Amino acid sequence: MNKPTGRQVGPPSLGRHPGPRFNGPAEKAKNQKATLLRIWSYLKNQRIGIVSSVFFVIVSSILSLIGPLFIGLIIDEHILKLDIDGTIRMVLILAAIYIISAVFTWLQTYVMIRVSQKTIQQLRQHLFEKFQSLPLSIFDKRQQGDLMSRMTNDVENLNAALSQSVIQIVSTILTVVGTGIAMFYLNWVLAVVTLLVIPIIVWSTKQIIKRSSKNFVMRQKDLGNLNGYIEETISNSNITTLFGKEMQTIEQFKKANEKLRASALSADIASGFLGPVNNFINNLGIALVIGVGALMVVGNVGVSIGVIASFVTYTRQFFRPINQLSNLLNTFQSAIAGAERVFEILDEQNEVADVPDAITKNHYDGEVEFRNVDFYYQKDKPVLKNISFRAKAGETIALVGPTGSGKTTIIQLLNRFYDAMSGEILIDGNEINQYKMENLRDHIGVVLQDTYLFSGTVRENIRYGKLDATDEEVERAAKIAYAHSFIKYLPQKYDTMLSSGGMNLSQGQRQLIAIARAIIEDPDILILDEATSSVDTMTEVQIQKGLNNLMQGRTSFVIAHRLKTIENADQILVIKDGAILEQGNHDKLMKNNGFYASLQQQLQVQ
Amino acid sequence: MQAVLSLKKYIKPYMVFAIIAPLMMVLEVGMDLVQPTIMQHIIDYGIAQDNTSYIIKMFGLTVLCAFLGLLGGAVCSIYASKTAVNFAADIRQDLYETITYFSNSNKDHFTLGKLITNITSDVEMLQRALTMLLKVFVRGPLTFLGAIVIVFLTARELFPILLVVVPILAFSIYFFTKISGKLFLKVQEAVDAVNTRVQENLAGIRVIKAYNRKDHQIDQFRSVNEKLMKRNITADQIIGILMPLTAFVVNMGIIAALWMGAFKVENESIEVGVIIAFINYLMMIMGGLMSSSNVLMQIARAVPSAKRIVAVLEEKPEITNSESPVKSSIKGTVEFENVHFAYNKQNEAVLKNISFKVNSGETIGIIGMTGSGKSTIVNLIPRMYDTDQGLIKIDGRPIYQYDLETLRGEIGFAPQKATLFSRTIEENVKYGNDEATTEDLIEALESSCAYEFVEKLDEQEQYLITQGATNLSGGQKQRLAMARAFIRKPAILILDDTTSAVDSISEKRIQRAITENFKESTKFIVSSKISSIRHADQILVLEDGCIVGQGTHEELLETNTTYQDIVSTQLVRGGTLHE
Repeated sequence: MNKPTGRQVGPPSLGRHPGPRFNGPAEKAKNQKATLLRIWSYLKNQRIGIVSSVFFVIVSSILSLIGPLFIGLIIDEHILKLDIDGTIRMVLILAAIYIISAVFTWLQTYVMIRVSQKTIQQLRQHLFEKFQSLPLSIFDKRQQGDLMSRMTNDVENLNAALSQSVIQIVSTILTVVGTGIAMFYLNWVLAVVTLLVIPIIVWSTKQIIKRSSKNFVMRQKDLGNLNGYIEETISNSNITTLFGKEMQTIEQFKKANEKLRASALSADIASGFLGPVNNFINNLGIALVIGVGALMVVGNVGVSIGVIASFVTYTRQFFRPINQLSNLLNTFQSAIAGAERVFEILDEQNEVADVPDAITKNHYDGEVEFRNVDFYYQKDKPVLKNISFRAKAGETIALVGPTGSGKTTIIQLLNRFYDAMSGEILIDGNEINQYKMENLRDHIGVVLQDTYLFSGTVRENIRYGKLDATDEEVERAAKIAYAHSFIKYLPQKYDTMLSSGGMNLSQGQRQLIAIARAIIEDPDILILDEATSSVDTMTEVQIQKGLNNLMQGRTSFVIAHRLKTIENADQILVIKDGAILEQGNHDKLMKNNGFYASLQQQLQVQ
Repeated sequence: MQAVLSLKKYIKPYMVFAIIAPLMMVLEVGMDLVQPTIMQHIIDYGIAQDNTSYIIKMFGLTVLCAFLGLLGGAVCSIYASKTAVNFAADIRQDLYETITYFSNSNKDHFTLGKLITNITSDVEMLQRALTMLLKVFVRGPLTFLGAIVIVFLTARELFPILLVVVPILAFSIYFFTKISGKLFLKVQEAVDAVNTRVQENLAGIRVIKAYNRKDHQIDQFRSVNEKLMKRNITADQIIGILMPLTAFVVNMGIIAALWMGAFKVENESIEVGVIIAFINYLMMIMGGLMSSSNVLMQIARAVPSAKRIVAVLEEKPEITNSESPVKSSIKGTVEFENVHFAYNKQNEAVLKNISFKVNSGETIGIIGMTGSGKSTIVNLIPRMYDTDQGLIKIDGRPIYQYDLETLRGEIGFAPQKATLFSRTIEENVKYGNDEATTEDLIEALESSCAYEFVEKLDEQEQYLITQGATNLSGGQKQRLAMARAFIRKPAILILDDTTSAVDSISEKRIQRAITENFKESTKFIVSSKISSIRHADQILVLEDGCIVGQGTHEELLETNTTYQDIVSTQLVRGGTLHE
């Protein structure tokens, strides 16, 4: 296995957990403005939708402001004056207003949902396509869970913000401003009285959020720790059982659990105050309006009963959005932060592009040459140093050397998983970067050490090597790979579903399917990286026969650990610490009496 | 429902809290409900009679009510949180303890992934539902019912409006809640499909690149992605009707109140304040209904979680101590007598009629093809599973008579999958023996040929292993897992195919170390390689769960065709060169 050096060592990063929907502190984006502009560039495609949606919001917000005004008017001008006809006329107008308001509110959601879902779909597609175009070094650098959470959590956060928060923020602002104007229009004294409550709202909400945020961070940390502990100890629980460590494991769990109990309590209690406090302020505001309003009616300073009625309704309309505003802004902020993380990936460099007029070929002869090739993941830690060798078409090259010596890296340079830092790699006399990358990879077949199968049937997995292969071809490939003999015992044979990662097969069986997948591709150059390491020896000998057929006439690179396989190679490269130590066929290397010969001799001594 | 009830005992210690919380909520709701009535009085008596002192008195009353409401709400919130958090923490503790003592067959029954979800998200779900139940579920219905009752008492003239509006509201909320459940289930399916695709593409990126299947993958993703979008749009758009619809129904109620109210005021059967109060109650009714339906959905979603948790809690550990467990020390003679075993009792047995005996201090090798049952044999010794038929004896005594802790304490087991914890190397190896000294540690590392690479690390024994040990190679993991077994200095040492990723030269050194350092121990070595077991005192050749050959290397070489086959495929130079 050849992993890049300098992998981060440290406690596992904690996955983000779906916490309660209280007010977690929002993560701030580093560059909000730029990110917003970029989100806008996605939304632009849906311009018509957005414009009409905003129009609908404005109309429905204004209509909802007119409603209470009408109620007051009806009470004062018609009901109190016992004017039945007038009441009915006005009530019908109000009914019309309500109908239009309902229709527009619905239209606005209807349109905005389309806008946001289409935008999100596009973003998701871009991100996925980006994943496919990123060079492998990115996947080495970033954890899979991290990339995954950008596709799920971050995109989802943005979705929530787009489909709800944006519209809500617009309507909130409109409602608050409109209500304010309406209240001042009705009676400025009462309006001032109502607005007196706002500073209290802002202050108390801030206090609560400040306190609960602090506790919330603690709680998330403790939860993350606990969940990490659970995941690891339960996954490894057979070790706990074997070594009789149950008590100790439980004891440690208890500590983490108690810690969470304490922090969760303070977080939940602190954030739980938000509801009652808001409710209290609402009630206080309404009490003020009624009390002061009633005194003003009695004092005859131009306030009527209808005005009080309107004010009570307005007050309810006024406070609700303000209460929600801080929550909305939080959602919005974490959405921007999420979007920033998505864009961060979208901005990563793609795999190297093909040169203009790149060569495509229908067939590669398979002459491979490395000339003074250097490679490193980190500058100060060279992985390959000055590698030079030449493989004639049809030859089998075996790579031998201790773990981490650079064998896998050499073959990964060949199919351009990575590009060499200096030196040249030639296939059929042309440098490999002169070929179209897709064309090159189409003609190189690889069986990787770490076999990966996709969820789907056995047949689909084998066919992955050649998408238009017939069922007969699939079966033939499986037979060559000696996979047919176990596939026929599977419950649905070739149509048996494999779970993601192929976990319901043994490691050896997965390797056999991977070999069949390479066989069906019928490549010009074949790379086998420890292709049979998990297969038992009896089976391996059988596969080897099949592979020998396959290698006939194709240039093959084999990393194997069975000496027998290596002996038959046309050329053996002994790699140590990133350099070629010895080179030649078995007999020559044995005669040289060097590293390879000493390995062989050590094994002979029983 | 049965399942939910059996979790009752976890609330018991916090019963007082669980009662106080809703009671205090009643106070808050009561105060909310009183307010419009007071308002009505201010308008109809205070203003109508120009009674300033009455207005001031009533105003004081509303402020007092607001404060009482705050008190009720705050106290309710505190006690609801206390109940739910403690309840969840206790369940989590019990779940974890139960799972820790599960036998392998219990774990196989549930699968590890499900157990993890159980203890993480299911518990969380339950906690959230309980908080909601104690806080909002009282609030919603109480507001709703309270408002109806008050209207009936104080504004009976307008009550008929409620008889029309409330059923329509209730029905539409019920209808949309029901539909939304179905719609979101479909959305969730689509989300899962997208996530699976992404996850697979990340994990299999090398295969995709090697086979040049970028476009194929993108096409596949496009179809699941589009499906997700379509389902999301449908679900959101349908559910988006509910809000405007309920607002509309309530507004129509207001219209009706004004219309009817105008006539009633004219014939002097009500005062105008009644209309204003009625409008306020109508809004409360809508709010109450909406929040009750939200909570109901939450609770409905928590029921399956509760069921899953109860299923785990009620599962009996399959392997337990006998009534009077024997704690005497173990020397290590192991005997199998006609042992049969199947993982899944409906399927064919994995082990059939296995009998053999190893004396303490001897080495026994077990060889056979993948799936022949080699690992299963050694897993029966520490009672990871119990036999279906037959007996396993250690020092002449059936293993189920031993105290489990004593039995497992005498066994050093290096399993096939070398799992390590995300701790330092030292902590991982000393996991085998808490009392081990630094010398013991180094000795164990040297015996397993691990010291040579540990030494080269910057942090040496303090090197921190990542979760899943991704910062070690396969061979390095196996060496450390062996060191962990060695450091126990056990009476019975079991190595279950632990050198598959270790090169032949190191393997040979490890074999030598085992022979020298574990003279007294009974050694089980499972392998598919002849080189790992050829020097054993006794070799078992396994095929399809049966012993087809038994003896030393030389004996088997003469008499046993299966063994001869294996040898011929591995030949003399079948060794492995590197990891």
